[in-house]
Amino acid sequence: MSEPSADPPVGLPADSDAAGDDGVAIRVARSGGIAGMSRRWSVQPSGGEAEHWMVLVERCPWDEKPPPGTGADRFVWRIEVRIRRQRHEQVIPEEHLSGPWRDLVDAVREADSGAKPA
Amino acid sequence: MTIHEGRGGPHGLEVQARIHQGIVPSYLLAKLAESERYAQAAEAARQTLIAPAPAEHRAQLRLSIDENGSLVASVEAAPNRTISDAHGTETLPGTVVRTEDEPTVADVAVNQAFDGLGATFQMLLDAFQRNSIDGKGLPLDATVHYGSGYDNAFWNGERMVFGDGDGQVFQGFTGSTTVIGHELGHGVIQYTAGLEYQGQPGALNESLADVFGALTEQHLLDQTADQASWLIGAGIFTPAVHGKALRSMLHPGTAYDDPELGKDPQPADMSGYVQTSDDNGGVHINSGIPNRAFALFAVELGGYAWEKAGSVWYRALTGGLPASATFAQFAKATITEADALDTSTGDAARAAWASVGVIKATGDERTVG
Repeated sequence: MSEPSADPPVGLPADSDAAGDDGVAIRVARSGGIAGMSRRWSVQPSGGEAEHWMVLVERCPWDEKPPPGTGADRFVWRIEVRIRRQRHEQVIPEEHLSGPWRDLVDAVREADSGAKPA
Repeated sequence: MTIHEGRGGPHGLEVQARIHQGIVPSYLLAKLAESERYAQAAEAARQTLIAPAPAEHRAQLRLSIDENGSLVASVEAAPNRTISDAHGTETLPGTVVRTEDEPTVADVAVNQAFDGLGATFQMLLDAFQRNSIDGKGLPLDATVHYGSGYDNAFWNGERMVFGDGDGQVFQGFTGSTTVIGHELGHGVIQYTAGLEYQGQPGALNESLADVFGALTEQHLLDQTADQASWLIGAGIFTPAVHGKALRSMLHPGTAYDDPELGKDPQPADMSGYVQTSDDNGGVHINSGIPNRAFALFAVELGGYAWEKAGSVWYRALTGGLPASATFAQFAKATITEADALDTSTGDAARAAWASVGVIKATGDERTVG
């Protein structure tokens, strides 16, 4: 049985500490769907931009476990954030990606629109 | 004349009542519709000849000529389709744009969804005598034009939903009969074994949906197992993509190899089983293993895949399979069903599962996971 070809457990950029204690790194990954192809988008805002992103991140209910998905072939979102030394991670079925979660994901996708399918 | 009650469950009005392989000239059918003595047959005949069927239960008349040159009329279950349009939003169901009795519309996606649902319905009925998703004539509902540049088609537990694709990697998802059959297949699985959508039972769920999708296309095109492409989702990539389909059931891992998308990640046997937390535990990746087992089995048996191979898989799915079934448990169930037909079919099933490493060549099941 082979090892998975998956990403590291927390798939933030390996050099994300380079931004120092003020660093913010956000990655959203979409898996599933009938095609089963994963895509990823990420941002590493610096300086004055970080504050805006931290507001988006802090609006999200990180401690609330989302309900399970329904049906089949829906996308599943994995949202990973590092703010300074803190790490957050949440997995959300597409049908429950709403409100602040959706705002955060849409913002990351828009900021990283040049991302290629992975 | 043999009159069968339909498989419509406890409903009083059984309009799926079938006049089964009876030689029924049209004048007799008309006469029958007025019969008081044969009340059930009269009801079926009336459904066919006179009144439009009630929305919940539909029947269709199939006419054929038998070997003696006689007209054979049979009344059988018919689909009840409703296609809605989400107009680029993520709001379901959207507005109704075509129902069962309405002709084609200008929107190609609507007609493709309508026809694909019909092809799947007919395959389920012809191959497995199953009347729709639930076996009781459940209406088939679909929504097209879901979301903006939405790269997916899914089953939400109640309806099939189709995006238009982003136009760069994916074209619309209604263009593939296998995709439509796949989504409806998820409905059948939901109403039967209810396989969990996670890990191995999830990958089995995905594989069985691919089997339904492939059988739908083969049935529609009148293809035998050796004529079939065994591809899922052919034609939904744009011409820019280096690939022929989303998946290959016969040769998992070979459907696409593109500089941007990467290579088809499906394993063809258990040595390549992927452990991952994404995609509900890699349900769309590891499905390649049971997919290949089915394709090998069907090609070995020859003929139409839905007749023998499909029936074996279908009986295993609907014969008390647990929701948590592993590949090995499902393999065992299919081998039991195949053995019940004859020795050579049982041997072909064992050989197929051994080829993908789910059982040992001796027939013992291998622990997996």
